[in-house]
Amino acid sequence: MDERPISRILIWLASASFLFLLAPVLIVIPLSFSGDVFMSFPPSSWSLRWYASIGQHPKMIDAFFFSLKLAGAVTVVNLLIAVPAAYALVRLAPPGAATLMSVLTAPLLLPTIVLALAMLIVAARAGLLATPQGLFLAHLVVTLPYALRIISTALATVPIAVEEAAATLGATPLTVFRRVTLPLIIPGLVAAGALSFLVSFDEVVLSLFMSGPRLSTLPVEMYHHVESRADPLVAAISVLLVLFTLFIVIVVDRSLGLARTFVK
Amino acid sequence: MPAEDHVSPVTKQNADETAATDRFLSLQALTKRYGDTAAVDAVDLDVRKGEFLAMLGPSGCGKTTTLRMIAGLVPTTAGQIVVAGRDLTNVPPYQRDMGLVFQSYALFPHMSVAANVAFGLEMRGMAKADIRARVAEALQLVRLTGYEDRRPGQLSGGQQQRVALARALVIRPLILLLDEPLSNLDAKLREEMRNEIRDIQRRLGTTALFVTHDQDEALTMADRVVVMNKGRIEQTGTPEDLYERPRTAFVAAFVGRTNRFPGTGAGEVVHVGGVTMRCARPVSGPVEVMIRPHRIHLDGAGERRADDNHAAGTIIRTTYAGNVVQYDVQAGDAVFNVEQSTDATGALVSVGTAVTLSWSVANTLVFEAAP
Repeated sequence: MDERPISRILIWLASASFLFLLAPVLIVIPLSFSGDVFMSFPPSSWSLRWYASIGQHPKMIDAFFFSLKLAGAVTVVNLLIAVPAAYALVRLAPPGAATLMSVLTAPLLLPTIVLALAMLIVAARAGLLATPQGLFLAHLVVTLPYALRIISTALATVPIAVEEAAATLGATPLTVFRRVTLPLIIPGLVAAGALSFLVSFDEVVLSLFMSGPRLSTLPVEMYHHVESRADPLVAAISVLLVLFTLFIVIVVDRSLGLARTFVK
Repeated sequence: MPAEDHVSPVTKQNADETAATDRFLSLQALTKRYGDTAAVDAVDLDVRKGEFLAMLGPSGCGKTTTLRMIAGLVPTTAGQIVVAGRDLTNVPPYQRDMGLVFQSYALFPHMSVAANVAFGLEMRGMAKADIRARVAEALQLVRLTGYEDRRPGQLSGGQQQRVALARALVIRPLILLLDEPLSNLDAKLREEMRNEIRDIQRRLGTTALFVTHDQDEALTMADRVVVMNKGRIEQTGTPEDLYERPRTAFVAAFVGRTNRFPGTGAGEVVHVGGVTMRCARPVSGPVEVMIRPHRIHLDGAGERRADDNHAAGTIIRTTYAGNVVQYDVQAGDAVFNVEQSTDATGALVSVGTAVTLSWSVANTLVFEAAP
């Protein structure tokens, strides 16, 4: 890497924007160790009581496990749909492939609130409101564009000649995909899977519209909690969530790094 | 065919054998159209068993498309591909037994060198121990023993090319297909690989088809060269045929360097910008005359050789290139490019010197001018 001196102004700008982005997170951490009954900053006393009290909120814990299962299912199904779809769009390149790709990734551009409203109307009609199936479909719609984009990009970087070489050596199309294409797009699959998981796990607006009193995701449950009570419980949960997300990102980064050395 | 009924079994078998060796690969009116344009236009070609054939032509002439159709990677529009008596036209690539070497090498980046070479054998369901032996043999053939566990990314371009060659050869393909395999290598390595590919092909007796836009490669490596232009075969012949007896102006101009003049034919002679020269065959009307630069002799003014064609001129430019000197000579309205080999004692002729050019009738190639 060539190391050029970075201008001082740039360093200041970068630090300022980092601080701006991270400030809320940085405030949440001391807040979670508060000993007060109400959220106030800075806390007047320190304790671990809010971490301990998470255990007394079964709804919160149920919501966490539901979110986990939901995100897991969304990720798996997402990849199962996105890989063949991306392959068809990139490799078979049917007429209108570009248009089709735009349509499929359109939810990325739509305001989430509009999407949520539309889903609410459709789900209410279909009787899917506040059901795991309804939430699953809603999350699938918003995560699919990410997966499709990432996997398409990964596929486009695999030279066709490599697949052709495998074919001339006697590999059937399915074997070519399994032995050559798939191993070469693993980094893309990991990235797409991680992003789908995190988007689904963090999703608030859609889930808010689609969940009910008996079934809600963790972010929605936290939102409801903050609405009715102003205690630092959610701060404690937030810190745990940050750690959880960080864990996933590190795992992904590690396995991506692994995949890269594996491919090189 | 009812006629076959009268042929004795022995003769028939011999005829079949001849057909199988003389026409090991046979392309019959092979055509590929993209919309209205024909990339390959009714190409007929027979290749003998064990032959090294080069397909030469400018980019877009259809040579690569032809190769890819033979490999089964491009579906044909019309015509047939017959190999060893079997029609392969509609057989998928994975059942054709063709060994293809790509310009980009197209090695599997996620597999070791050994796994790359073993891939084709694995696809054939060969036993592990046999695969190991065959891979070792193939790597020895391309002088890469000891590189088994490397990844393609850790090899130089020349080494990657040799892995690609080993991978294509290890399956003992019906035909080895090479698509511009040397164009990504630097000049010195290219020459080395030329010999290496040629030697390996001879040793194994593999029939090989080599696509290139580089006339030097085609002439030095191939037993026979096919010159293609605009989807059609211009001429097929030995390198010497193409160079000495080009049948079309395109071949004469594409294979080797040449002087190219517009002229007017008048029976046995042609007029080119004030110079009159005799030619090998009678022509009339607008023609194109081609004379190779190194087939023209350069002598002092007034000195005449026994050669049939002469022109008096003046040297207007001298280009020294080490092994040869190129002179541009103004003779009448035409500028002749003349090439002479240098020797340590010979002095260069300087610009402005009056000279006599001589060249034989046989070296005066005349073609009908393109309309």
